[in-house]
Amino acid sequence: MATMKTDVVIVGVGGAGGILAAELSKAGMKVIGLERGPRLKTADFEPHDELRYFQRQDLRPNWKHQPVTWRRNANERAMPMQTLNYGAQAGGGTVHYGALSWRLHEDDFRARSVTIARYGAPAIPVDSSLTDWPLSYADLEPYYDRAEYELGVSGQAGNVQGKKITGGNVFEAPRERDYPLPPLDADQSGLIFNDAAGKLGYHPFSSPRAILSQAYKGRAGCTYCGFCQAFGCHIGAKSSILVTKLPEADASGNFTLITGAMCYRVNSDNSGRATGVSYYGPDGSENAVEADLVILAPFTYDNTRLLLLSKTAKFPNGFANSSGHVGKHFMTHLRARVQIAFDDRHVNIFMGPSAQKHSIDDFNADNFDHSGLGFIRGAQISVSPVALEGGPIGEATMNPPPGVPRWGAGWRDFFAKYYTRHAAIAAQIEDLPYPHQTIDLDPNVRDQWGLPAPRVTYDSRRPNELARTEFMARKLEEIGHATNANLVWRAPETGGAPGGHHMGGTRMGSNPKDSVVNRYSQSWDVPNLFIMGSSTFPTMGSGFNPTLTIQALAYVTSDAIVNRYRRNPGPLV
Amino acid sequence: MSNEDKSRRAFLKGAAAGAGAIAANAVVPAAQAQAAEPMTMNMPVTDAHGAFFNDDESTTIAAFTERLMPGAPGKPGARNADVLNYIDLALAGAYADLQEFYRHGLNQLDAYCRTTYQRPFARLEEKQQDEIITALETGKAAGFAWPRAQEFFNSIRTHTIEGMFADPIYGGNKDFAGWRLVGFPGAQLFFSKAEIQGKAAFTRAPMTGLKSQAKTPPRRT
Repeated sequence: MATMKTDVVIVGVGGAGGILAAELSKAGMKVIGLERGPRLKTADFEPHDELRYFQRQDLRPNWKHQPVTWRRNANERAMPMQTLNYGAQAGGGTVHYGALSWRLHEDDFRARSVTIARYGAPAIPVDSSLTDWPLSYADLEPYYDRAEYELGVSGQAGNVQGKKITGGNVFEAPRERDYPLPPLDADQSGLIFNDAAGKLGYHPFSSPRAILSQAYKGRAGCTYCGFCQAFGCHIGAKSSILVTKLPEADASGNFTLITGAMCYRVNSDNSGRATGVSYYGPDGSENAVEADLVILAPFTYDNTRLLLLSKTAKFPNGFANSSGHVGKHFMTHLRARVQIAFDDRHVNIFMGPSAQKHSIDDFNADNFDHSGLGFIRGAQISVSPVALEGGPIGEATMNPPPGVPRWGAGWRDFFAKYYTRHAAIAAQIEDLPYPHQTIDLDPNVRDQWGLPAPRVTYDSRRPNELARTEFMARKLEEIGHATNANLVWRAPETGGAPGGHHMGGTRMGSNPKDSVVNRYSQSWDVPNLFIMGSSTFPTMGSGFNPTLTIQALAYVTSDAIVNRYRRNPGPLV
Repeated sequence: MSNEDKSRRAFLKGAAAGAGAIAANAVVPAAQAQAAEPMTMNMPVTDAHGAFFNDDESTTIAAFTERLMPGAPGKPGARNADVLNYIDLALAGAYADLQEFYRHGLNQLDAYCRTTYQRPFARLEEKQQDEIITALETGKAAGFAWPRAQEFFNSIRTHTIEGMFADPIYGGNKDFAGWRLVGFPGAQLFFSKAEIQGKAAFTRAPMTGLKSQAKTPPRRT
């Protein structure tokens, strides 16, 4: 057993942990990062291989060895589920993500207040824990800006200091300045979507992505090969933590990355202060790091799991869980989707930055009037390959149109004709928080280290969510028909299963009684413990992907640690 | 001969040697075989065992996957793509944890076919084979405990798609049969602006696989 001492230990060096590793080590703190997977290089990602990376999910935790289980309700036995955004290496999910980089809207940070003001309190489902965030868009704007410029995000601004710009997202909150890089080129599916959405009076734009549209900070621009979502970028044009923040941490001379290190417990003393963490090495050995500051930054489920695994006499319900809210308010993006297919043109959906290429924000958040609709909140709507990457194995997962079988000559002829002639239009739908949607420890399933698997108890089929999803599906059909496609058909419903972008479990709030961390992602109970990532989101914010907000919050935390906590360790609120 | 062709040939030679007579047999399109003689009693006995499947299992999987993805003139199917070889190699390697799943599934399928039609799957008429597959797909086939009929169907379907469309280095998609069928150019490292915005089919050569990746620096003009 090896024991090391350091100023800061970070568990999980992904979208949030990578930023903290770089910023704290550059500020002179000694930082050890623990990463259960390997550290890969850009050269590892060429050539692209759909079977290995999309189908067999080589950059995600293997669900047979590192399972996350799911059940609809307490009466079911949970079974391992596929997880889309989970990462299995240094850089975490940013290595294989589609790189969508959104800022939330101003109102997204006060969804409860805005909903009550506009529609009255009864508009919020009685069992929902919809709430306001403890910080505002204005608080976060400088950190969004910093993330966009330090990492490299391409996009077309739609609102610079209040001035609306046609061609950008006119619903976006005011930004201080433009994106650092111009938008990525539209591809055929983007042009089709733009045309159809524009015809209907909506406001389409090139989705902002952390993919370089031209050379930036010594990295090359995108080659439009199409292998983004599920793949590592073969030229480092995707602004993953691997090619942005880890080199900065390395250069500081203060950062040590330990790969193959699976953290299984946060250690603490009798006063309840965190003293470090314990982890299994790649050889199964038990090791420890003693640290003044403990930062948890693994994926959503693992924050909750680690706290529940680290209970003590002082915290019998899980470490830093005096509120009883650890593991509660789990949320995922719901989806509705239609496929469109053309007889008279090719679309070649396998080309170009793959996921959510062009979007509209007209039906997201509270950007439209919900009066009389029977639901609140909304969805981002975009055009994509069906599987978010456009290779034939992924696209073969689409349900065929009505009347076409799933196999045999009929399916062969359908797929042979339309593989290069189709696209998907999808709604990424906000989910409201509910306290009874939970993550806990599975009593039946263990992972390769013998630790109980994180267990999700979740069913999206609630009245508000069903109404929102059906509304969006009809919008998708409307846009689909406006493309003049020969075929427009819906994807099947999801049966209540968790969608993408899992959030919640360690929610952020203004009151230690009903939240786990404060606005700096600092534990209310344990001031030298910070808990990072989308597990802290008190609401999903909107139908937007969470990564840029996760990263902005990581910059908030790093600034607070460097400028305040380091001089005066203790509660920041 | 381009480097790509050379390496592909070398690879195919290796694959054929590894898989015995399978590769040679698989190039006969189903429609052609059907034209010569009725399928019924005449299914090949030459789907010899590979790395995992025994002779009978090979014959069954070859016949089953061909019904899922039938070949026709100008439309390569599972036999043309050597989907059998793909699944066989996968079960001997990456999917080794599915070996019992397949063994049990094939035993149950065999029992179901013998109960229903008194013959093994590969010796049924195509119409009967399709009825059997439909019964699996819809969960109506009797006698399946583990794997369940639908589970088994879904796995074979998924693995057939993988064998059609995965890179040829994994033993299927022979001569890029699957990619040619649908018009996928493989792992291209760049597309030009004109290409991503073009309404036409993408036809620029070469179609590239893992064995033949050109190590030229990516570029975009």
